[in-house]
Amino acid sequence: MTINIEFDPTWGEELSDRFQKDGPWGNWELYKLAIEMEKHFIIPEFEGLQAPQHLANLKPLPHQLEVAKQVIEKMNGKAILADEVGLGKTIEAGLILKEYMIRKLVKKVLILVPASLVSQWAFELNTKFHIPAVAQKKSYVWDQFDCVVSSIDTAKRSPHREKIYEQNYDLVIIDEAHKLKNHKTKNYEFVQNLKKKFCLLLTATPIQNRIDEIFHLVSLLKPGHLGSQTGFIEKYKSGDRNIKDDKHLNELVNKVMIRNRRADTGIEWTKRHVKTVLIDFNKEERDLYNAIDVLKGNQDYAANVGFTMMTLQREACSSREAVYYTLKNMLKKRENPTPEFEEKIQFLIKKIEAVKQNSKAEKTLELIKEINDKVIIFTEYRATQLYLQWFLKQHGITSVPFRGGFKRGKKDWMKELFQKHTQVLIATEAGGEGINLQFCHHMINFDLPWNPMRLEQRIGRVHRLGQEEDVHIYNFATKNTVEDHILKLLYEKINLFERVIGELDDILTRLEFGKLENHLKDIFQHSNSEGEMKIKMENLTEMIQFAETMKKREEDSLHAAGGNSSIS
Amino acid sequence: MQQEEIHQYLERYFAANDCEILENQPGFLTVQLTIDMDKELMNRPFYWHYLEKTGGIPNPAKLTIITDKNNTPDDVKGEMIHFGAPRLHQIFQSTKKLAGYIRLFEDSKVLQNQQRPLYPWLGVNIKISYQCDRKRDVFRSFGLNMINGGLVENFQDYLQTKRLTPKIPDLCFTLSPIIMPKSGLHRIETFLKQEILDEDHEWAEQARRRWEEDLALLDHFYEDLEEKPESYQIEKEALREQYEPVIKIEIINGGIFYLTQPIVK
Repeated sequence: MTINIEFDPTWGEELSDRFQKDGPWGNWELYKLAIEMEKHFIIPEFEGLQAPQHLANLKPLPHQLEVAKQVIEKMNGKAILADEVGLGKTIEAGLILKEYMIRKLVKKVLILVPASLVSQWAFELNTKFHIPAVAQKKSYVWDQFDCVVSSIDTAKRSPHREKIYEQNYDLVIIDEAHKLKNHKTKNYEFVQNLKKKFCLLLTATPIQNRIDEIFHLVSLLKPGHLGSQTGFIEKYKSGDRNIKDDKHLNELVNKVMIRNRRADTGIEWTKRHVKTVLIDFNKEERDLYNAIDVLKGNQDYAANVGFTMMTLQREACSSREAVYYTLKNMLKKRENPTPEFEEKIQFLIKKIEAVKQNSKAEKTLELIKEINDKVIIFTEYRATQLYLQWFLKQHGITSVPFRGGFKRGKKDWMKELFQKHTQVLIATEAGGEGINLQFCHHMINFDLPWNPMRLEQRIGRVHRLGQEEDVHIYNFATKNTVEDHILKLLYEKINLFERVIGELDDILTRLEFGKLENHLKDIFQHSNSEGEMKIKMENLTEMIQFAETMKKREEDSLHAAGGNSSIS
Repeated sequence: MQQEEIHQYLERYFAANDCEILENQPGFLTVQLTIDMDKELMNRPFYWHYLEKTGGIPNPAKLTIITDKNNTPDDVKGEMIHFGAPRLHQIFQSTKKLAGYIRLFEDSKVLQNQQRPLYPWLGVNIKISYQCDRKRDVFRSFGLNMINGGLVENFQDYLQTKRLTPKIPDLCFTLSPIIMPKSGLHRIETFLKQEILDEDHEWAEQARRRWEEDLALLDHFYEDLEEKPESYQIEKEALREQYEPVIKIEIINGGIFYLTQPIVK
C-alpha cells in the first residue's frame, strides 16, 4: 500500500544556510530542553485521552471522559452528543476539541450556539480548557482567529456566510442541534454546506416526535448513514412512526449518537421539591374567564374558534394583559369585522377592565417575600412578563426580564444583573433555553406550557450539574380552569415534575400518536362536557403510563441480555 | 509533565537564557528577565520600540511563576503555571525556536600533548506522526558520519554521555565533511522513508476502509440525483481530509557535532 510521506524540508534548508555562515548556533542546555519538551508532546498511541492531563483545573466526570473517548475512537470524530440536559455536554465537547488540538488534528474550529450562549461558550473554553476561543463580534474574526464561537443566525447571513465558507474548518460544533431537524430551513442548508471534517452536534432532545427529524439530523453529520432521502421517506412513510419500532434503525442511530441518562451516571443529584400552588380567581377574573365562552359559535372564526378560545382561556389564567394583547391583535388582523364580532371583543375588553387585581401575582409576591432568595419566574406571555415586572416594582422588588429575542450582549447582561443585583428574573418561554442559572434554586412556573418538553427545559435551567442546593419548583395553577386540568390530569398523573430530565422525552417518542400538544388541544376543544374531557385525559395519561411500562420492560430485558443501548 | 518537572524545566530554561533567578522556592520561582528574554516572552514590542527611539533606560520585567499554589505564600503574586497553561506553551515554543540548530565539539581528556582530529557528525532529532482521523507519534534520533556516511540511531542518548562545548577544545582540529549537511539530511530522509514503508500499516488500511465506507454512504445518499449538488463535493473533500492516511516527518532540532570517534555504537 502506498502512503504519502511528507518530509518537512524547511529545517534542512536553514541548516545549510547556517552551516555556510557558521551560525548562529543554539545553546546545548536549551537544545536538550527542547527535546525533553517534545518528548512530553509525543503521543505514542492512537488510543487514549491526553486532554485530562492538560486540564489541571477541570475534573471531568467518568461519563464525560467515556464519551470523549468513544467519539474519537469509535465514531471517528463525528457524533451527536445527546446526554440529558445538565450532564455536561459542553464539557464533553470541550474535551474532544482539546484532545484533537493537543494531537494537532484540529486547528480551525467553528462553534455555532444559541445567541445567549455565545459568551458563555467562549468563556468556558478559555477558562476551563485553555482554548483561545473568541466570540464573534465583527466579520473579520473568521480568518483572524482559529477558534470562533458564533450564533448560527449571524453565521448564516452575508457577509459572514461567504467568509465562513472560505475557511477550512477542521471541527464544527453545533449546540442545541435539534433546531436543525427541519431540512427545509436556511439554517439547515447553511450547516449542510459547511465542510465538516470532524463534527459534533449537541442536543438534549435528539428525537422529538417524528422519525424524519432524526433522519435529517444524522444526515447532516453523516449523509447516507440512514439511507438516501427518497429511500428513507419511502420506508418510513408515516412521519410520526416510532423510531423504537425499528431495531435496525435504532442500531444505526446508536453508531453516531451517545446518550447518557442521569441515572446511568451514578452522580448524586440535589433534591427537587415540587409544590403545586392552587390559586382562586377573584370574582372579576372568573368573570373574564367565563366570558370567553361568548366567542363560541361565532361564524367569524369557523375552524379556528376552538383554538382561539383555548388560547384566551390560558391567557386569562396568566394575566388580563395577556388576554388584552391577543384581543387587540385579533381586531387588528380582521379587515372588515362584523359588528357582532366587534361587539363581542368590546364586551371582553370591558371584562378585562373590570379586573383590578391579579390573584397569581399577589401570590407570587407573597411567595417571593417568603423565599427571600433568588427566584426565576417563567411565563408563556410577554404581556404577563411586563406586567409582573411592573407589579413587583410597585412592591419594591426589582427584577430583570429575559427573552429569546434579546441580543446576546443583553442576555449576558441580564443574567449578570440577576446574579449580582436583583432578586427576580422573569423569563418567557424562548428565554428558557440556553442559559445556565444554577446559582438560583427557586423557580416559579407562573403559567404552564402545554408541551411537557418545554417544562423540562425550564427545570433544566436550574436543576443541573453544578447545582449544589436542593431545587424548589412552584407550579401555579388557577382552580377550575384548563390550566388546573392540565396540571392535575396530566402533569401530576405522569409525575412530570419528579421525573429526571429527558426521561419523558424518551417515553413520549414511544407513543405513536404524534405531538402530545395536538392531543391536548383536541381534548379541550372537542369535549362537550367536563366529564368527557376528564375521561379523554385519563385515556391519554394511561397511554403515557403504558408507554412507560413498555420502556421499563424493554430496558429490563436489555439489561438481562447484557446489552447496552445508549438510546433506549 | 508533573508540576515538579515543570518547575525544573523553567529553572533550567531561565538559567540557560542567562536570566538571574531571584528566588527559587518549592512552589514558585521569581526571575529577572534579560532584555532579550523580555522581548521574547513579555509581548510588549511597543515598549521596546519606544525605549530604543528615546534612548531610555531599559527595565526588563521580573517574572514570578507559581508551580504549586499550596506551597506558595499568599503574598506572592504570580502566574499559575500547569501543563496546559498558555505561558508554558509559549516557553516551550521559545525553547524550540532558540535551540533549533546547534554546533558542538567533544571535549575529551587528551593524555599527551598531541593534536587530535574531530570527526563531523550530522545529528537530528525527529518526530514522525502517523495521521488519519487519529494520530500517533514516534521520536527518533539519528547521527550521520559526514565523512563516511555511517548512520547510527539513538544519537542523542550517545551525545548526552559526552562532554560537549561550543568552542573547539585546545589541540583539536576538525576534519572537513565530505557529505554536506543537505545531502546528509537527504540520506537520513531516504533511510527513514524506506524503513517506514516496510512497517505494518494496518492503521492506514483501517482508515482507508472507514473512508470507503463513508464514501459509499455518501454516494448512496445522493444516488437519486443526476447532478450532484455542491454539498456532495464538500462532504467528499471533508472525508478525504478526515481519513486520508499520511505520515509526517518533522525535525525537532539538530546540528553539527564534532566527535572524537569516527564510529559510535
